[in-house]
Amino acid sequence: MTVVSPLGYRFPGGTYTIAHWENWLLTDCTTAEPLPDDLAHPVALFHVPILGAGTSIATLFEVCGAEGPGSVGLDGYDWEYMRPLRVGVEYRMEGDIVRWEQLVDERGNPYDSMSFSIEMFDAEGLAARITNTWRFRRRKPEVLAGAT
Amino acid sequence: MKVGEQLPKFAVPSVDPARMKTMAAILRDPYRVHWDREATREMGLEGRVINQGPLNLSYIVNMLHLYSGPTSVRRLTVSFGRPVFDTDSVVAGGEVSAIDGDRVTCAVWLKRGDEIVVSGTAVIDVAHLH
Repeated sequence: MTVVSPLGYRFPGGTYTIAHWENWLLTDCTTAEPLPDDLAHPVALFHVPILGAGTSIATLFEVCGAEGPGSVGLDGYDWEYMRPLRVGVEYRMEGDIVRWEQLVDERGNPYDSMSFSIEMFDAEGLAARITNTWRFRRRKPEVLAGAT
Repeated sequence: MKVGEQLPKFAVPSVDPARMKTMAAILRDPYRVHWDREATREMGLEGRVINQGPLNLSYIVNMLHLYSGPTSVRRLTVSFGRPVFDTDSVVAGGEVSAIDGDRVTCAVWLKRGDEIVVSGTAVIDVAHLH
């Protein structure tokens, strides 16, 4: 499958406020106790930038041509926090797809490597920044030729 | 605090598939491998669902919180090597690798037995500990 490169795809942008219930459940999922002082669990830096930028995992899958179970993998994250994230603070997000490469893994299987970056601002300025890299595995041409 | 110091471990004795379902809802994550056992049967994984990458990373974050408190994390740079499945037992660990004033860089990892499934570096701010 050849997907049109989404390099430069700009997210609509928007705002997001982490809710108390959301942070409580998120923190529980990590098996930790709730944090004090309205601190958000740092792992909120996965979904908050994506949703706050006006996109979603589903949209990213669609834009990048995800092909079904097992076709998407995580390669890496680079997350920076200028200060701790807080519940109840409105964050503004902007970002885009910054990298798209057609590669082949160690077993000779083709995949597209995609990176997107989102910056997150609060009233003081830049609060956090992420770059996530995902892998979209593609079927080999001979497999496609034999598929019904 | 010194280079080579080991961070306190954070253990998850059995990764819970119910938590993956809640996480999928919070993330609005439509990827079936996290909550639909049929999806992973199609992949030949015997119906074991796959933990979300952010949850794997969260165990490393919790380990950092044990060491330096809940406001300390400043940067996480990680690679995901192997998937983690429901009922897996995993342990997050780390080691101080550099100190620059109040900024401390740590090698961090998540292991399943002796296998490293997530690895990378974390930068923590320890100014509040002085």
